[in-house]
Amino acid sequence: MSEAVVKFTDFYFKYLSSELVLKNINLTVPKGSFTVMAGPSGAGKTTLCKAMLGIVPFYYGGSYSGSIEVLGENVKDKRVSDLAMRVGLMLDDYESQLVSLTAGEEVAFSLLNHGFKPQEVEARTKKALADVGLPGRENYQLDELSGGQRQRLLLASVLAVHPEVLVLDEPVSAMDPDGAKSLYALLYKIYREYNMTVIVVEHDINNLLPYVTHMVIVNQGVIAAQGPVMEAAEVTYAYPLLRENLPRLWQIKFNLEQRFGLQLGNWRSESEAQQELQERFQGGIGKC
Amino acid sequence: MLEVNQVNFAYRRGEPVLHDITCSIADGESVALLGHNGSGKTTLTRLFMALDHPRSGEVLVDGNNIEKCEPADLADKIGYVFQNPDLQIMEDTVFEEVAYGLKNKEISEENIKHQVEVALKAMGLEEFADLYPRSLSFGQKRRLGVAAALALNPRTLILDEITNGQDEQEREMMMSYLKKLNEEKHITLILITHAMEIARKYTKRSLVLYDGDMVYDGSTDELFDGVRDLKPWGLSQPPLATLGAVFGIKAFDTEAFCNKLELKGVGVK
Repeated sequence: MSEAVVKFTDFYFKYLSSELVLKNINLTVPKGSFTVMAGPSGAGKTTLCKAMLGIVPFYYGGSYSGSIEVLGENVKDKRVSDLAMRVGLMLDDYESQLVSLTAGEEVAFSLLNHGFKPQEVEARTKKALADVGLPGRENYQLDELSGGQRQRLLLASVLAVHPEVLVLDEPVSAMDPDGAKSLYALLYKIYREYNMTVIVVEHDINNLLPYVTHMVIVNQGVIAAQGPVMEAAEVTYAYPLLRENLPRLWQIKFNLEQRFGLQLGNWRSESEAQQELQERFQGGIGKC
Repeated sequence: MLEVNQVNFAYRRGEPVLHDITCSIADGESVALLGHNGSGKTTLTRLFMALDHPRSGEVLVDGNNIEKCEPADLADKIGYVFQNPDLQIMEDTVFEEVAYGLKNKEISEENIKHQVEVALKAMGLEEFADLYPRSLSFGQKRRLGVAAALALNPRTLILDEITNGQDEQEREMMMSYLKKLNEEKHITLILITHAMEIARKYTKRSLVLYDGDMVYDGSTDELFDGVRDLKPWGLSQPPLATLGAVFGIKAFDTEAFCNKLELKGVGVK
């Protein structure tokens, strides 16, 4: 997993009328990783995502220094549309990415723009809708779909192109807990099946615990932690203001480790956590 | 007081979205409206605002049937914050956006300014007053929607997924302000949310919709007892509720939970 699909080197960026929003970014996303990116609002996570496709700075304008390599090529030398064939992006403001009247047209829109043949467009549209749990909804109008269903639809449009890298900015923000869990399970399946690299921005990492291999924490335009997920989590916990970005279970883990000077397992599920906690701890008497 | 009696509703495709829903929400309650995507949460609250009218059954606001009402008739009573903040943005600056509703009332410029400033401050947006609303981040736009609703001092606030896109600090700021409004000024809060931790921490009563049926109407504490299987409704117990139930600890944050744990085999101090 040493090869990098995304590599920022000494990257700085400001929008036309903003302060610096990204500062001294040296970030590597390893090929084949399932990377989660977290951090407070306004930290620069979305800007980082957009930079991976060259949308920042080349579409928005602004000033930058440093370089970004995506899949071994300097973003500066590529058009956004070329990168979009290999890197799929789903924005947090998902409504702004939906442009068609029906679900089928929406998926077909991205395929047709990428020059796929009509027969292939139809087959891929059908498959992509089924993949995200919207089978047979080709003729549904977008306003008949709920917010969560529209997010799934957008994921289908991005997946239909079969990108090598998938960048998702809060892809489950409008989904119920069950929907969020099943979308991430689905995403993991697709990630394994197509050997992709996945980068997900997510406030609530709890749902990603079983899958995530790497973590990036962004704070005030700076990378506060990056690397294999447990190492990055430990670094993050050292900053009290950033702790809330960690999954609840790991906050509990690090809290208890510090409090009692012991080592607990790297829990990937609530049942693992519960089992070890029950073995080693009890509820304080009279404190309930 | 909001009431629905035996309400049925369907959109144009004809599939029923709400079946025979009856419930009432008294002044000053804090209610979480929960359910899977497409369960009918938003639809139900749209009926309270007369944004839609039921196919059968009645909707009452303060005892009056609103079948002949337009949304504007209810705007004084109910503040509604939509799930998609972009749909609500109309003006060129953040300040004007929040002032918009007030300008339709007979209020002096000075009072408008004051009310807008209070609402912006409450949502942590005062420094953005002169900015173009669409240049705000997604989370900030959601808070702008809440500020615009707050400025009108409604008796009831219906808030659709307002904590999305907010980080922990912003969520706490927003929710503790709303909680204070609820407790001190008895503003009714109806919170549509998928964030189980938020519902558990900030509401006393929960309504759960499943496929258009009301399947739970009761205390939030009992719903999130850490034991009840919520999966069939598309919901889940927050980790602190589940682990809390195992150890007999009621906690809403990590620190409070860990404070109450002790190592086995070590004597109680």
